[in-house]
Amino acid sequence: MYMNNHPSPQDLLPLTPPVFHILLALAGEERHGYGIMQDVARQTNDALQLGPGTLYGCLKRMLAAGLIEESEERPDPALDDQRRRYYRMKPLGERTVRAEAQRIAAALAAAKSKRMFAGGKA
Amino acid sequence: MKSEPDQFRWVGLLCRVYAIALWAYPRAFRAQFGGEMQQVFRERCRAVARAHDLANLFRFLALSVKDWLTTSFRERFGHNAGIKASLSAVARHPATIWMLAIFICFFASTTMVRAYVISAGSMEGTLRVGDHVLADRLHSKARDIQRGDMITFLYPEDTGQTYVKRVIGLPGDRIRLSGKQVIRNGHRLEEPYAQHVASSTDPYRDNFPVEAPSYISARGREMLARHVKNGEAIVPSDSFFVLGDNRDISSDSRYWGFVPRENVIGKPLIVFWSYDAPTDELVGWNRTYLADLAQHFFTKTRWARTLLVLRSQPAQEIQP
Repeated sequence: MYMNNHPSPQDLLPLTPPVFHILLALAGEERHGYGIMQDVARQTNDALQLGPGTLYGCLKRMLAAGLIEESEERPDPALDDQRRRYYRMKPLGERTVRAEAQRIAAALAAAKSKRMFAGGKA
Repeated sequence: MKSEPDQFRWVGLLCRVYAIALWAYPRAFRAQFGGEMQQVFRERCRAVARAHDLANLFRFLALSVKDWLTTSFRERFGHNAGIKASLSAVARHPATIWMLAIFICFFASTTMVRAYVISAGSMEGTLRVGDHVLADRLHSKARDIQRGDMITFLYPEDTGQTYVKRVIGLPGDRIRLSGKQVIRNGHRLEEPYAQHVASSTDPYRDNFPVEAPSYISARGREMLARHVKNGEAIVPSDSFFVLGDNRDISSDSRYWGFVPRENVIGKPLIVFWSYDAPTDELVGWNRTYLADLAQHFFTKTRWARTLLVLRSQPAQEIQP
């Protein structure tokens, strides 16, 4: 995930939990840093609390890998009138997060087949 | 759009602390993301403040410190740096340097250096009353003391006091004064550091050694009786002959004899702060002094003398 010249999602797997959830947070919607942090906390029921250093360290590497890109800078009407940098997912990011979800699903199926996974019923 | 000031003052304080903590990250990272990181941090602070939950606040603080430590290391040294690289990285990390500095201040300082305040004018011209001086304590063996060095030492007449004077004579040197002029081993000394404030001459102070006047102490009399030969004081082994730079009002070897080697503590290194206050108020932290300090810190601090490095000044020996 550090190289820009390997644009295959498989090369980037497995993703670290922060990167995976940040990509999910950006699915279909661009967000600023604090918005990403809030959405990741929502996705994980507050199990994953990203500090600013973790968040922006990940964003830096994801930008470099071509998973995401910077969008415009604008204020968030829900917060205050400060201008905030927004981030959005790139096609490679979308393919990668889908591939990671696939990988996790396969891993989960393997665990189920060994009766090592009981919860998570729909 | 709302932009009200934070109702919790500590939010602003925490954000300022965080802004300083950002210096732990590499410059490029800071330049790209520093502003956004501060925004995110501020929003998190506000959310925690609105929750009014102390446990939550502590969790948040612990998380922030952990996040800061781990990610600033990672940004500086990368995920997969080897142990050696990470060690050298740890050594260069600002947090390490700060901790080291604090460690030195608290523990190492008392053994390596000591702070003194100059409370008498006998070195005036070089050291002024109110100068706060750092002196090292590494010369207790007194091996590398040269003529012209300033030394701090325990006053031989009362070892509860620490004096600072200039070394004029090393063991074996022959010393005399004639009309305020120091003559060492037969050579007149040109002393740029010495100052004379009295226009009159004193038969003993300015012409040494001669018959002891009544006010000379027993130690001084012993020096005159045992170590004077042919009108010169001869410095015995393991001793130093010291004089104050403010030559006419200095209580020094002329009056109380040589400084034994074991009394030497070290050398003054630097004036780290100089404060213009009356002598008696400088000793101890009494209330008048503190009040004066609070009121006049900026006006009474001698800024030109603050952080003044003290150097040895060897005198020029002039051939007869």
